[in-house]
Amino acid sequence: MGSRLKEDIPEGSARGTPLCPAGHLPRKGGDRQRWGSPLFLHRLRFLQSPTIGRGSGAGSISPLAGEMSGRTEGGATRTDVRQVFRLKRRVLSALVALLLAMPAVAAEPAPSPFSGDVPVLHEEAAAAGIDHVYGGPWEFFVGGGGAALDCNEDGFPDVFLAGGKGDGAFYVNRSRAGGRLAFEKAPQDLDPKDLQNVTGAYPLDIDQDGRQDLVLLRVGGNVLLKGLPGCRFEKANFAWHFDGGRAWTTAFSATFEPGMAYPTLAFGNYVDRAAPGSPWGTCADNVLIRPRQPAAAAPEPRVAAGAEPAPLPGAGGPDYSEPTALSPGYCALSMLFTDWDRSGQPSLRITNDRQYYRGGEEQLWRVEPGRAPRPYRKADGWQHLSIWGMGIAEGDVDNDGYPDYALTSMGDTKLQFLDREFEDAPTYRDEAYQRGATAHRPYVHDAGKPSTGWHAGFADFNNDTRLDLFIAKGNVEAMPDFAADDPDNLLMGGFDGRFTEVGDRAGIALPTKGRGALIADFNLDGAMDLLVVNRGQKASLFRNLGGKADFGERPLGNFVEVKLSQKGANRDAVGAKLAVKIGATTLNRTIQVGGGHASGTAGFVHVGVGTAERAEIRVQWPDGEWSHPYRVFADNFVLIDKGAVAARYWYPDAERPEPAEPATTAERN
Amino acid sequence: MTTRRDNALRAAALVLANLAAGALAAPAGAGEPAWSEKAIKRQIPPVTGRIAGASLEALAHEGRDLFEARFTDLDGAGRPNATQAIVPTATRRPAELDFQRLAGPDANACSSCHNEPVAGGAGSFVANAFVSEGFESANFDTLDAQFSNERGTNHLFGAGLIELLAREMSADLASQRRAALHAARQSGGAVRKPLSSKGVDFGRLTAFPDGSVDLSELSGVDDDLVVRPFSQKGVMTSIRQFSVNAMNQHHGMEAGERWGARWTGTADFDGDGHADELGPGEVSALVAFQATLAPPREEAPDDEAWVEAAARGRTVFRDIGCESCHRPALPLKSLRFEDPGPLDMAGTLRTGDVETPATYDLSTLEWAKRLPRNDAGEVLVPLFGDLKRHRIADSRTPRLGNETLAQRFVERDVFMTAELWGLADTAPYGHRGDITTLDAVIRAHGAEGEASGHAYAALPDADRSALIAWLKTLRVEE
Repeated sequence: MGSRLKEDIPEGSARGTPLCPAGHLPRKGGDRQRWGSPLFLHRLRFLQSPTIGRGSGAGSISPLAGEMSGRTEGGATRTDVRQVFRLKRRVLSALVALLLAMPAVAAEPAPSPFSGDVPVLHEEAAAAGIDHVYGGPWEFFVGGGGAALDCNEDGFPDVFLAGGKGDGAFYVNRSRAGGRLAFEKAPQDLDPKDLQNVTGAYPLDIDQDGRQDLVLLRVGGNVLLKGLPGCRFEKANFAWHFDGGRAWTTAFSATFEPGMAYPTLAFGNYVDRAAPGSPWGTCADNVLIRPRQPAAAAPEPRVAAGAEPAPLPGAGGPDYSEPTALSPGYCALSMLFTDWDRSGQPSLRITNDRQYYRGGEEQLWRVEPGRAPRPYRKADGWQHLSIWGMGIAEGDVDNDGYPDYALTSMGDTKLQFLDREFEDAPTYRDEAYQRGATAHRPYVHDAGKPSTGWHAGFADFNNDTRLDLFIAKGNVEAMPDFAADDPDNLLMGGFDGRFTEVGDRAGIALPTKGRGALIADFNLDGAMDLLVVNRGQKASLFRNLGGKADFGERPLGNFVEVKLSQKGANRDAVGAKLAVKIGATTLNRTIQVGGGHASGTAGFVHVGVGTAERAEIRVQWPDGEWSHPYRVFADNFVLIDKGAVAARYWYPDAERPEPAEPATTAERN
Repeated sequence: MTTRRDNALRAAALVLANLAAGALAAPAGAGEPAWSEKAIKRQIPPVTGRIAGASLEALAHEGRDLFEARFTDLDGAGRPNATQAIVPTATRRPAELDFQRLAGPDANACSSCHNEPVAGGAGSFVANAFVSEGFESANFDTLDAQFSNERGTNHLFGAGLIELLAREMSADLASQRRAALHAARQSGGAVRKPLSSKGVDFGRLTAFPDGSVDLSELSGVDDDLVVRPFSQKGVMTSIRQFSVNAMNQHHGMEAGERWGARWTGTADFDGDGHADELGPGEVSALVAFQATLAPPREEAPDDEAWVEAAARGRTVFRDIGCESCHRPALPLKSLRFEDPGPLDMAGTLRTGDVETPATYDLSTLEWAKRLPRNDAGEVLVPLFGDLKRHRIADSRTPRLGNETLAQRFVERDVFMTAELWGLADTAPYGHRGDITTLDAVIRAHGAEGEASGHAYAALPDADRSALIAWLKTLRVEE
């Protein structure tokens, strides 16, 4: 598939040269576009459209460089924008005339319509007991994430949602397997202040006691919460020698470095509000914190199924007292440890918001054991790219074994594939346009204004084996030059390698301002559900009912859900790779912590296996060792312990009590 | 062959069928002309609701027509760009040959192989099929056993009852797993429980309070506790699944429910210019034909000496332990055959894929009325099998372990207990169809069957002969 698509890309298109490195129209001499390329023709069509000039974003995939109104500062006026557009229109009209006089360019083949299942995503937040708003002033225009984690060891993903200026909230999952979604708010014995000013959260077993802990990203002092039995948490900053700092934190990722007992944490920070001239050009440094203990200090793992976690030995626990600055910082809004070259050595990818940095770009840092982190540079093959980076999603879209990335921005989304023409270099080509994944304007109520993308996540929403892409969308606040009605995207991956927008048909085209999101199988029925944190509005919770059919919904394709564990450090096998073989195809997944937009999930890894009844799963454990193939039947949840002969099947509790009925019949499904 | 009686029956039954279950098939006049080179003369709409008696027979006749149809290029036969694999898999390069005895397509009609003694029956050695687990993308062209397993063609008589038994057994095992997990969660400790259904032991399962299970003590069933009764290996769940597989492998006729645009992105996955070659209605008709095939039965010979010997042989069969696997009968609660079935997975039409599933009421068929019942009112299905897999060969007695490759997670020397009904009319024997006598195949039993095989070999000549005499009374109902 991948190779077929590559062959389809006409000469003169983006291969080897970013179509639009800055995610907008060219800066001087920077971004090139060849004559006759699909994107060029595409843009000309835009410019000929009657919507031209209505807004600064009209006619372009991305907002215009230098004409972008500030997020919150007012930015360029509409008059300025119109003047620039008049000039551009004259030039471009001449180009259009010239092009029309040229010999006909071969027409692009029309992409085949999406023929797979369109998942029916039924919004039922209120009925499910989720009543939560992310809000607050300027600092909370960004962020708005949450975490999905199993905090009471029943296998069902529970939820923490950031509240911004308001309170963050914990929700325990009371859904029954395959049933309607149901959550119950879980009070915590925590200082309420620690749950305020939270921008996002990521789950992670920090102290390696077998329970998920929680990293809270905050405006002014991050918080590490240690997971306790029964979905209770306690603050562990002091115990783990962690100084939350005072930064405005908006991104996080974690990895386990070889020989270390505890994870290495990376925090991405936004604007340094105290710096002179803030906010322009005053991005705070990011921070990398390695644990001080080697692996020998890790507590003994618990081994017996269902047993209580082993207590921490002595005064154990991680020591995060030595942070390292990742300087320069360029206002990170998402970061992700990623093994981009499958070397087994993850690097730290950071997407940055060009709105506030000066001379910045997207970043990739080498994080080698025992060495100071170093950024990849142009000489290493890392190409300059400057976007309003909001979120990172990783997935192996083309099943070639190498991770591909979606980067959200204001305007067009990037869809990056490793360019193998450059050996051992982190050089990427953007195929978002060719694959129909730019998602640059709203697909409903399009007023000709560009979209604003935030969270991005790959998942197989219809279990057809192809990765789909969810993007949370929403105006920053009230930016007039960007779409006000900006629905979230659900781009279904097709067998031809292209993506097709089905958000409207799926039921997620709501007039909300999406930010972070949790893509998880909340009712353990094998279909990925979706929780979207909205700014200034209630969170949305969508249950995946199955594929849209004439008579309602029908079941999706087959699936397997896999959870890994190993003894010693890194019990959840962060960094492990799953190779799920079905027939002659291998589907790849990686266990990661980070990415998206201020949101993370932990637990079962979901893989849609289409029509396959069986799958063979091989695991490349974080130490690089490959397992033997584990043979599993589809439509099952399996646990794979390192070194085990066979995978263990796992079943949700079929005798769970029926959750309480919604308060009113109107809220029922 | 279609007889005048068949045509009359079909014409009459179609009227009833249309009334009872909605239009089953468009009138012949609206389809292809009689001289058409298309084997599929008319499309069959999806089948819904309860179908019984004459309506069911009419649908089965439609299925029989398809079973006997010699598919042509005009129907979409051939698969130049698709392999024989069960999961839709494209060839690396277009196939050089339209037909190929190994990788297929290797037959013109189902009945090209399933024809002894009548359509739906078994096949002789020449009709062997080749199973290529693990080589989905290879167009292998060698008989080397490292590339494929060679299998004799099974008969399909009583297949509907077999599938119904397997469904009930699967439900039993799932229920027992659920109970064990509940007990473990309640007790807070591991719970080890036996698994059995209809008197057949499937080993043990240990459930843990955390919801996980230890399956290392399972016996003769897949880890998901689904009893898959079809194929010599016991790895296919349903008639529908097997039919969809086989239509692609043997004929290059691709059913939309697996090779259609929903799962492949194109309605013509095999690249032969024909989209959606088999619709859900055609597959349902094929299922109905096979599910309604009368079960074989024990038939008393005319020869007095044979009768006497058979009676003795039946006792010998019991005495030397054959019944431990070749169970004389398994009880069946319901004769309602749902199509699609409850255990099929994506790629084979599922109950949830249709608005109204069909139910074939097998109890309304003549042969069903002759089946014995127990005190509980359950039908006793005289299959002489247990729908369980066993290791049947070892180093001492390797003949029935004559394969090199495991198939669908099942080891090379493990096979489903062969149902003995219909044995008299479905020689040759053995998984490869390369054993010509019953005497030889009994002696070939190794591993779990070794004791019975040895006991047989140790019998006096008269008792061995008597056992053969009885086995020869297990006849296909023509």
